Amino acid sequence: MKARVIAAVLFAAVLAAAASTASGSVRSAKADSITVWLMGDAQSGWPTVVADATAAFKAKHPGVDVKVQYQTWGDHLTKFDATIAGGDTPDVIEFGNSETTKYMANGALRQLTASNFPNSKTWLAGLRSSCTYNGRTFCVPYYAGARAIVYRKDQYKAAGIRGTPRSVAQFLSDGKKLMKKYGKKDRNYSAWYFPGKNWYASMAFVYDYNGQIAVRKNGKWVGTLESKNAIKGLTVAKNVVGALSRASKTTDEAHPQQAIVFSKGHVGAFIGNGWEWPYALNKDLGNPALAPVMGAYPMPSHVRGRLMPEFLGGSDLAIPAQSKNVTLAADWIKAFTSTSAETGIAKVGNIPNTTILANVNKDNPQIAPFARAAAASWFVPTAPNWVNVENGDVLQNMLVQIYSGKKSVLAAAKSADKQINKILNG
Amino acid sequence: MAVAETELPLASRRRPRLSRHRVVGAAAPYALLVPTAAVIVAVLGYPLYLLIRLSFQKYGLFELVRHKGKSIGFGNYTTIFHDAQFWHVVARTVVFTAVNVGLTMILGTGIALLIARLGRFMRTLLTVGLVLVWATPVVVAVNIWRWMVDYEFGVANWTLTKLHVGDFQHHDWFVSNWSGLGVITAVIVWGAIPFVTITLYAGLAQVPQELVEAAQIDGARAWNVFREVTLPLLKPLLIILTSLSIIWDFQVFNQVWIMLGERPSQDYYLMSIYAFVQSFRINEYGLGSAIAVVMVALMMVATVVYVRQMVKTGEVR
Repeated sequence: MKARVIAAVLFAAVLAAAASTASGSVRSAKADSITVWLMGDAQSGWPTVVADATAAFKAKHPGVDVKVQYQTWGDHLTKFDATIAGGDTPDVIEFGNSETTKYMANGALRQLTASNFPNSKTWLAGLRSSCTYNGRTFCVPYYAGARAIVYRKDQYKAAGIRGTPRSVAQFLSDGKKLMKKYGKKDRNYSAWYFPGKNWYASMAFVYDYNGQIAVRKNGKWVGTLESKNAIKGLTVAKNVVGALSRASKTTDEAHPQQAIVFSKGHVGAFIGNGWEWPYALNKDLGNPALAPVMGAYPMPSHVRGRLMPEFLGGSDLAIPAQSKNVTLAADWIKAFTSTSAETGIAKVGNIPNTTILANVNKDNPQIAPFARAAAASWFVPTAPNWVNVENGDVLQNMLVQIYSGKKSVLAAAKSADKQINKILNG
Repeated sequence: MAVAETELPLASRRRPRLSRHRVVGAAAPYALLVPTAAVIVAVLGYPLYLLIRLSFQKYGLFELVRHKGKSIGFGNYTTIFHDAQFWHVVARTVVFTAVNVGLTMILGTGIALLIARLGRFMRTLLTVGLVLVWATPVVVAVNIWRWMVDYEFGVANWTLTKLHVGDFQHHDWFVSNWSGLGVITAVIVWGAIPFVTITLYAGLAQVPQELVEAAQIDGARAWNVFREVTLPLLKPLLIILTSLSIIWDFQVFNQVWIMLGERPSQDYYLMSIYAFVQSFRINEYGLGSAIAVVMVALMMVATVVYVRQMVKTGEVR
């Protein structure tokens, strides 16, 4: 029971210990290993690319071991902060592109020379800007992705749905057909599996109605979820999710992994990243038999024929300021973001970090919908403190309140705005 | 010895000479305390000092990277005392603790009284059950409970639906923080009962049977026997157990944290969670420490009551 409090206290002790040792630490002449923190997505989605990069790295640096440690999105920053305090950071760390600003602004990352890395001239603009602070580069774009609807073609057909929906209204009416056909008998069935804390996909509705999370006005950040447009988007989201999803309102898309839930057969569609499609077919966790009946399409906008803007997610690779193996770390990043590695990452359904590979998935019907979804996209407010809104679960809490009906859309949005104002201007 | 002492002049009896022997004799207990004191200072005192120091500093990510905080006096305390959420969290923590301690003590005492009246076989069975509960690590226990109240496949929803209590298909226990904290209370009370029960059962064995019989002969009913005979004899034990329970339940962390997938929403924040989130999620280590210090201060109050009672109990005996 007391473990956490004790841990907090110990953490404080570590701070002090680190403070006294950091200054006197001696750089080892030749490291025999580097530590790499990647997110679990790579482990589920493209483990062979990681292995190949490490092999390529080892060919250049024989005798140097690469320890790849997979992290989860929920707590990787907390763990990273603890390593900063302890002076034992990893040598390479993956960041979500909405997480980098705070770490760049506070000097936690080592400045890099972009031209030393592969394809730096053709890096995706969105990711490049997430690695740039005051005109200096602090990380290397890794990959990007936008979410699209992954669905069961067989169920859509059996429910009498022709083609894929071209507007939110049609998405809703198609979903209702599915609920009618499958949802009556099977009370676990969701036409659209949508856990309540999926804030990326929920905010897409806000941006679709020209709303925003926050804007900068007269030098201050102002939460704008209570604006008319945002409220409209959130209300539509509530209606659609309420009618089509029986997923828990208090969990997120990774707990349990929605692709795996999908693979169990009680789901008509979910909104996910490109890599989640093959993940649903994973022979140990998913169901390979679904391969012929799976499809994907970009989420339509409320305006017929347009696409809903999706979050332009992505990841970057950085070297923490305290890493003692900068050269080795940079070499590993080079191997992992080489043209061939990025091709591998792209082939499982991601958008590669460079525009020269834009056509790599041209002929792949599995991935084209995700690339199309990325064409219309939105991004989080670029405030240095933004990641605290994510880590404080401000949007997730608001969504739980909205989807569960605990608060009205307006009341939930107002309280979220208040917190956003406090955090972003803090 | 006694003879020798009487021969000493009065003055020197009042003020014994500081012989080497006496000094060593007087210092011995303190010398024996030194190792324990040193350990306590090292593992508790020093971190506590650092915590307090941190609570007077601005210590964010910027300071963390440089391993150097900026002193801001009472700034962090002013911030939290002006923060409405902080007072909500304090109130929630106090109510939560009261409910948990209350239920633990009532149910624990009840089960102890029950065990005392059971036959040998049932008593052994129940005691083994209690010890097993006690032996279950918190993390394991919380996960088991979490599966039981699972949204989709939980046995709780299934059973309640089968028993026609209502339609619990896809009932989400954690939408409302009342029912969510209710589940967490159940886990905590469930885990805390064994210690209270077994301790009180041992205490009950000390209640002289003659007293009970005498009261019964005088016509006392079961409730009166309990109130007038058993309770007063158990009182010191009950007070110690209650104080300990307050200390434990006030700083509950794991049950909430694990049950809610390590991302509890704000209406589940207890003081420990709030301090943790401020420190390790938002990187406001100074603010987090200030909250922790307030928590320690509140705990001190409970501890003082506990220690006073211990001393008092000793005097009465």
